[in-house]
Amino acid sequence: MANLNIDAAKERTFEAIVIGSGISGSWAAKELCDKGVKTLVIERGRDVKHLKDYPTTNLLPFEFEHRGQITQQEQKENPIVSKCYNFREDSKHFFVKDKEHPYIQEKPFDWIRGYQVGGKSLLWARQVQRISDFDFEGPARDGFAVDWPIRYKDLAPWYSHVEKFAGVSGNKDGLASLPDGEFLPAYKLNVVEKYFQDQLKKNYGNDRHMIVARCAHISGNAENFKDQGRAQCQNRNLCQRGCPFGGYFSANSSTLPWAERTGNMTMRTDAVVHSIIYDEKKGKATGVRIVDAVTKETEEYYADVIFLNAAAINTNLILLNSTSSRFPNGLGNDNGLLGKFVAFHNYRAGVSAEHEGHQEYTTSGDRPTSGYFPRFRNVEKQETNFLRGYAAGFSAYRGSYADQSGIGMELKENLLNANNYGPWRVGSHMMGETIPKETNYVALDPNEKDAWGIPQLRINIAYDDNDEKMIKDYQEQMTEMFEKAGFINIKTRDDNRAPGLDIHEMGGVRMGHDPKTSLLNKHNQLHACTNVYVTDGACMTSTATQNPSLTYMALAARAADHAVKEMKK
Amino acid sequence: MFPIHFNPNDQTMKRRDALRSLALITGGLVLVPACDFSKDDILSAYKNLNVTTSQQKLLAQIADTIIPAGYIKGASDLAVQDFILVMVNDCVDSEGQKSFSDGLSAFDAFSKKSGGKVFDKLEVPQREQVLKTVLASEGEEDKTIRAFLNTTKRFTIQGFMMSEYIMTNVKPYSLIPGDYNGEVLIADLKSEKING
Repeated sequence: MANLNIDAAKERTFEAIVIGSGISGSWAAKELCDKGVKTLVIERGRDVKHLKDYPTTNLLPFEFEHRGQITQQEQKENPIVSKCYNFREDSKHFFVKDKEHPYIQEKPFDWIRGYQVGGKSLLWARQVQRISDFDFEGPARDGFAVDWPIRYKDLAPWYSHVEKFAGVSGNKDGLASLPDGEFLPAYKLNVVEKYFQDQLKKNYGNDRHMIVARCAHISGNAENFKDQGRAQCQNRNLCQRGCPFGGYFSANSSTLPWAERTGNMTMRTDAVVHSIIYDEKKGKATGVRIVDAVTKETEEYYADVIFLNAAAINTNLILLNSTSSRFPNGLGNDNGLLGKFVAFHNYRAGVSAEHEGHQEYTTSGDRPTSGYFPRFRNVEKQETNFLRGYAAGFSAYRGSYADQSGIGMELKENLLNANNYGPWRVGSHMMGETIPKETNYVALDPNEKDAWGIPQLRINIAYDDNDEKMIKDYQEQMTEMFEKAGFINIKTRDDNRAPGLDIHEMGGVRMGHDPKTSLLNKHNQLHACTNVYVTDGACMTSTATQNPSLTYMALAARAADHAVKEMKK
Repeated sequence: MFPIHFNPNDQTMKRRDALRSLALITGGLVLVPACDFSKDDILSAYKNLNVTTSQQKLLAQIADTIIPAGYIKGASDLAVQDFILVMVNDCVDSEGQKSFSDGLSAFDAFSKKSGGKVFDKLEVPQREQVLKTVLASEGEEDKTIRAFLNTTKRFTIQGFMMSEYIMTNVKPYSLIPGDYNGEVLIADLKSEKING
């Protein structure tokens, strides 16, 4: 990889620049490099090399001073990131600490970030479900946001393209609401999950399904991934440390080393993007202005094409801060909608219960995924008092435990021979679609700046009445399904978490047909500045219910293909 | 196979060094008969707790009563008392830290009241009886001691079960747990009893 100690403008000039090295940026970089495009990848954080920079990956539980726990002081200093389920002693070095990049919460919003090479692709939950035409057609059918300028058929080949490379395990379930893909062998449901699956069939016919969730893990055919240097997933479930086998897809283990091996990629780390440079005479973007994270010096890099993949909210920030006399309100923002219509996934609710049957069974080993309910509400037509619907996770589990009531030798032997089995426990969590609204927005604060002299963001995002109705329906429906399956001690919860903790923030730079009502066209180009592509979560017109990363990957690969074809014209 | 390039917790090292030097200092003190033991050293490694070396010793005795040595090592053989102090110092909120410190300070008085002697002077069965009395107590009056002992018991169990010794020699932990089997008949699981 080139070492950047260069002054001449020529040496700062590339054919393409990709801002951000996470899931979507690394896909743009890989595709561009594969097609022979000299590409600079700009990453605001430090380098994280596969294997070498996973300091905790092979540590044993007793090697963590607090056995995995985050300390009181860390929690006090980081009230936001401490709420994230994955911020633990073994993974905390991959998360942004609250003080490092402050923002203003007009309403509570937990912004979870990973500033390093690979971004949050080291920390994600690796769930990859395709979105269908029921989702692409949602806004037009239900009259919210704007119509997506693409349909499933436009993205389907690109879903296949990224699935084959990333490695996705799953079953061909044949459900129109969750299209099948290019799958490696599926992980298995356990005996109680299968029982529940059968109960759904019995009680709801073909209307509701619980399947094994598709996940970005190499579950078989490992020889296909040898040339990426990746091996089969070992079911460690320690993914958040970085995987020494490359068993799951991360930018660090897959797309970035691949792009590097083409010889076409240059990586500039520790470079916080200030703005995209717009040339009024040429009528296009010509480069990127960065602030060196260490020296705080400003530098510029130039390219014909710019991919903006800074993660949804930072992508909004960069565009808002890219002002010129042509674009006084942010690059491409002729209609004033930049930063607006931000949405997310509603993860507030869950339902748990116990199952008295199958007492003779337990499980062994581990698996990196669980069960999944594709959306069953309002799929074919509107049928409830709220718009859209929810997907849901589902799993059943049982383990042995020790009687810890005594003390002395009795306690010691109980602990060492933990052989009591309680009932099976089952649990579900909702993943609700939220409706993008103009009132859910991010904007630049006129006064407050961050450590790099860039305006801080004001974030104003909240739930609405549709979300509340959906939570109620999810709890009622899941309770009914649990009751019909004979589960007992059913408990519903609403943890009232703020938006953001779902880590699925989307929109602000939405795609659409019309430059008057959207920012990006059907190729993910800014309508008003077509050599800038946005293919991360910021481009999403609506959120669907599916875990969105796979869609960003497919959109990035598709847009890179388009950009290269345009360059050759 | 995969080299580890940095120590995840320099603090651990520092704390171990600090404890080692303290051990040297206090070890030295024991050899000087004229030493004034009323001035008990405060362990500086646990800055949120005012714990003295003699309280650390008492904590080790309590942990050993909760999980004694036998065929398999007991709590203090594995320095579980130090783990408890690390966890209370770093991972318990200030209210919990206060009730832990207060309970530890009041423990010998409780031992005298309930068992007739300070804990150090009691035989093992009497020590067990004192702990059982605390854990079974209900009144407001023993609230602090009870909170202290519940915390101590919780971290004793965690420190023991998640010690290198147990996870390596007794119940070996594997980073690779094996393929998932979602339909294991419990009757088919062979497990030899581990004697304590």
